[in-house]
Amino acid sequence: MVVFDTPQAAFGALRPACVQLTRAQTVENVRRLQAHLAAVSGAALQELQEYVLFPLRFALRVPGPKQERLVQSLVQCISSVLAATCVRKRELLQELFSELCTCLAPPPSSGKAAPLSEELKLAVIQALHTLMHSAYGDVVLSLYQPSTLPLLGFAVSLLLGLAEQEKAKQIKISALECLQVLVLQCDCQEHRHLDEEEAQQCGDLFASFLPGISITLSRVISGDIKQGHKTTVSAIRLFYLIVGSVMSDAQLARVPKSKEKLAVEQSRISELMVHRGPDWSKSTAQKLSLLLHKVVESSSVHPHWKVRLELVELVHHLLRNCSQSLVDSFSHLLKALVGLVNDESSEVQSRCNEVLRGIAEQRIVAQNRALADVLSENLHSLATALPRLMNSQDDAGKVSTLSLLLGYLKLLGPKINIVLNSVSHLQRLCKALVQVLELDVTDVKIVEERRWGPPGSWQQGVRRGGRQKKYFRFFAEEKVFQLLQQVCRVLGYYGNLYLLVDHFMGLYSESGLYRKQAAMVLNELVMGAAGLGVDVLQEREVPPSMEDLKASVTSVLDEYTDQANWYLITSIDTEEASPEQSVQRSGLVARPGGLCSSVLLPSPEPQVTTRSMNSNIWQICIQLEGVGCFAAVLGKEFRLLLLSALYPVLEKAGDRTLLISETALGTLADICEACSYDSVQCLINENSDYLVNGISLNLRQLAHQSHAAQVLDTMLRHSDASLLPLVEDVIQDVLSALDQSYNNQASTFLRVLHSVMTALVQWCGMCSAEEHQQGQTAREQSRAQSQGQREVTVTRQEVERFFLDYVRQKRIAEGDAPDTGEEEEADEVPPLAGTEPNNGDPDGEAPLPIHAQLARDVMERCIHLLSDGSLRVRLKV
Amino acid sequence: MALPPPDPQFVLRGTSAAIHTLHFSCAGQEPEIPVLFSGSENGFIHVWNLQTHRVDTALDGHGGKSVCCVETVGGKDRLLSQGRDQRICLWDLAEGRAAVTDSVFTGHVGFCRCSLVKVAQGRWLVATAAKGLEEVEVLELPSKTSVCTLKPEVGAKLGMPMCLKLWQLSCGSQPLLLAGYEDGSVVLWNVTMGKALSQLVCHQEPVMSLDFDSEKAKGISGSSEKVLRIWSLNEQQNLQVYKTQELVNAGISDITIRPDKKIVATAGWDHRIRIFGWRKLKPLAVLDYHTATVHCVSFSDHRKARETLLAAGSKDHRISVWSIYSQM
Repeated sequence: MVVFDTPQAAFGALRPACVQLTRAQTVENVRRLQAHLAAVSGAALQELQEYVLFPLRFALRVPGPKQERLVQSLVQCISSVLAATCVRKRELLQELFSELCTCLAPPPSSGKAAPLSEELKLAVIQALHTLMHSAYGDVVLSLYQPSTLPLLGFAVSLLLGLAEQEKAKQIKISALECLQVLVLQCDCQEHRHLDEEEAQQCGDLFASFLPGISITLSRVISGDIKQGHKTTVSAIRLFYLIVGSVMSDAQLARVPKSKEKLAVEQSRISELMVHRGPDWSKSTAQKLSLLLHKVVESSSVHPHWKVRLELVELVHHLLRNCSQSLVDSFSHLLKALVGLVNDESSEVQSRCNEVLRGIAEQRIVAQNRALADVLSENLHSLATALPRLMNSQDDAGKVSTLSLLLGYLKLLGPKINIVLNSVSHLQRLCKALVQVLELDVTDVKIVEERRWGPPGSWQQGVRRGGRQKKYFRFFAEEKVFQLLQQVCRVLGYYGNLYLLVDHFMGLYSESGLYRKQAAMVLNELVMGAAGLGVDVLQEREVPPSMEDLKASVTSVLDEYTDQANWYLITSIDTEEASPEQSVQRSGLVARPGGLCSSVLLPSPEPQVTTRSMNSNIWQICIQLEGVGCFAAVLGKEFRLLLLSALYPVLEKAGDRTLLISETALGTLADICEACSYDSVQCLINENSDYLVNGISLNLRQLAHQSHAAQVLDTMLRHSDASLLPLVEDVIQDVLSALDQSYNNQASTFLRVLHSVMTALVQWCGMCSAEEHQQGQTAREQSRAQSQGQREVTVTRQEVERFFLDYVRQKRIAEGDAPDTGEEEEADEVPPLAGTEPNNGDPDGEAPLPIHAQLARDVMERCIHLLSDGSLRVRLKV
Repeated sequence: MALPPPDPQFVLRGTSAAIHTLHFSCAGQEPEIPVLFSGSENGFIHVWNLQTHRVDTALDGHGGKSVCCVETVGGKDRLLSQGRDQRICLWDLAEGRAAVTDSVFTGHVGFCRCSLVKVAQGRWLVATAAKGLEEVEVLELPSKTSVCTLKPEVGAKLGMPMCLKLWQLSCGSQPLLLAGYEDGSVVLWNVTMGKALSQLVCHQEPVMSLDFDSEKAKGISGSSEKVLRIWSLNEQQNLQVYKTQELVNAGISDITIRPDKKIVATAGWDHRIRIFGWRKLKPLAVLDYHTATVHCVSFSDHRKARETLLAAGSKDHRISVWSIYSQM
């Protein structure tokens, strides 16, 4: 096909067709013209633009009824001309615009939309679309003068009518797209960017249409789902674009105080113009808030993900552009946004996160007091409703409620402190958290599960950083707990740590009901404050210094390990419970003088229910986990705190309740990791001086002797021979303590001494041949001792032989140079051996019958000598 | 009813020898870690970090002979130690060094601890029992020049000096020396003139320890007897017995008045530390922890009075650290 490049050639080709069309307006003639047009190059056609358009426009303007097909083909032809050329004249643009609009216009009489065919409508819409794109930038702007307002309004209302009432999806979408172009918000890149002045002007104009557009669009958006997601998406897009431009903070800020006076002849038009003053923007914002609420409500649950995605965009756009003018609507918008964070579609999720992060990064919230107020208001009401919601909703509902809460906190970011500084907010939030985190303490198994005897597999049983699975009253799903955890951590991350810690410490000490939860929250707060395991949208301005962290941790730790909070009744074993109960009964005052009173007097049985014991167990576990958290937070700095923390933890590691001892071991592992010790053994070895100190001090107090013994027990299990000098030191303390209180603590001490022996055997076992022999001795001793304790049938002869054997071996070991100490010992052996078999019931676990006490005393001395002797043996080598 | 006696705040272990002397250095500013120096029977001086409660460094400068006195000269980086090897050593501990920079041979074979006083910026006087049996020598540091030798009058029969306390009323005034002797008398010496100003027989047995409060012009001394003697110094520089405090168990090895002059601590042979109010010598507490004779007691020089600690070193190889401010 021949292409006409020059205007002359093109003119020659097009002229006959144009002339013919002018004469007879038929579809065929239009077709012919269009066919010729296809052969003309763009440049040539540009020259002939008006010439070609003339017959087409003429045909449209011919009065009288016209064939629809003709109009359609005319419009299509115009559209194709415009697509290839540019409109350079303002008049042409305006005329074409109005002519095209007229095609859609209903007959003046009917007042209803013209009963035109869908094809025609589509053609006209597309022609308008093309027209807007073919016009030069400044030419287009000529359309946006106050004088053309009626014309624009006409077009807008037509298009809106189409978008709302048409059935065909294609028309709806095209109309919406066309509108988008019309309000100068087209997606394509070809358009000239408006400068501020122009944008302001357009904004003024569009303000007049805003009510119409927004109402119609909101109807479209919340319309039937069957209209297809594309329509909804374009409607949402158009909605936020127009609202975003008219209500833009930047523009509103520049609106002059009083309405500009227009020329007299334009007075009628000026009545149509809207002045975007403060009053107007306020009332518009109120109305828009209603519409937005409607839009958000319908589209946030829209089944198609693209709609939800577009909603995210809407929130993003409006938040970015209208953060001041539309403040009232933000509670809805943010709620929607935050709620969509956990959308099922990953696209929506990621975009949502992105937007949230963007919002946070731009510090829109942080710098905008009003927005922060809205958020804190939302937070407050959510916190108020939280316990109720958690009680009534299903798991999915709980998850969404909590992610909403989390989202608010994340959005508030550093502004959280403003919220927290308000007492009522802080209290609400804290109470909500504490109530939601209530544990289920009805499980009897936890109380019953005990660690019987010394387990050999402690080293293997140590899990790293593991937490005990908790059972909550209000929820079962792990996800819910994770969210709550995040909530606490984010709070700790942004919030004033001192304030929060202080408040939760208050709750902690306020009531036993809150204690566990408060401790749990505290643990997470501190984790969050250190930035561990938090997922946040924006960085803090000032991360808390190590000093602050340390100060907080130290205060919490002190509270945790306070006697009243650390020594709780966890079992009703008579052996263990009695000293603990005596601690409780005698308050916190140590009673060095009253040796027997606490035990011999029948202690008034306090109301110990399974439930309360379970609760106590959990509290101890949570506190232990807290210690682990603190270690993780402080890292190597925690080494300094080991002085006070290690002893209590180790004490709990020796606890009889399985859960507690497991948790304590977990905590030990945490501490090892945080303070970069290789193993628990390493940890204990390197800090044995602290432990020994704790043991020796606690041995001085009757009530804590059994705990001290437990620690020593644990320590011995986990350490090696390098500890011997220290251990020797502390054994002396143990023995002297033993001398002072045979009656009540003896069984505990016996166990410890037994483990001392076992440890010695192990340590000696590594040594040379001669030592090996002594190791044998020691082993025999310990075996004999344990036999004595367990009341295996030990005959008098056996015991006697053993002791004699022992003394003989010892003399060999000492090179036949026995000192006076051994002599004494040897002297004592026969009576010892004599009494042992008569020993009533020296079972390690059982309470001691009074009639057996004498025998027990003697045995004590025997053990005293045994351990002393073996130590001396060990040291002499 | 009185509160039960407190437990030690902490017990420092690991010297593996009896502790004979203790000295705190806690007056440093914040980042500086408070330390406690301890001198033990095996000749080691341990530097305890009071934050970790562990030994930072162990100094060995007296050839395995018992260390009987440790003092800081100025900051905590300059240390003076006196040992039974008849030497006084000066240490430089700055920047992790641990070297003896200087030493003086005293020739004294007894247990008498030396006494140090700062007379001017960078100038100290140290009084130490000298080679001659009854003599006390005063040296200037860091020049090590002998200022004077204090010899009792011929025929005084005081015996060996047992304990010394060098002091001055205010900075720049004449330094005075209080010395407790083997025969139980306390003598006040004028160091510049080398003359005994006053003599008071306080005890029947050797004076084991004394301390003096220059503000109230009152001193306290203990011996192996069951009494504490408080004496005062009048304007004519005469020593007079002021009060006698009876004890339950005999034998006092060390006496220290707290820097704020409110309380006195004594280290007893009965394994106990006793605390008295200084004004009326009202018994306040008996701190019972050690399982052997307590050799020395020392108060810390914390800037904040509330943080002040009391440390006691004992024959049982342990150093107990007590916080008694809140109770007193």
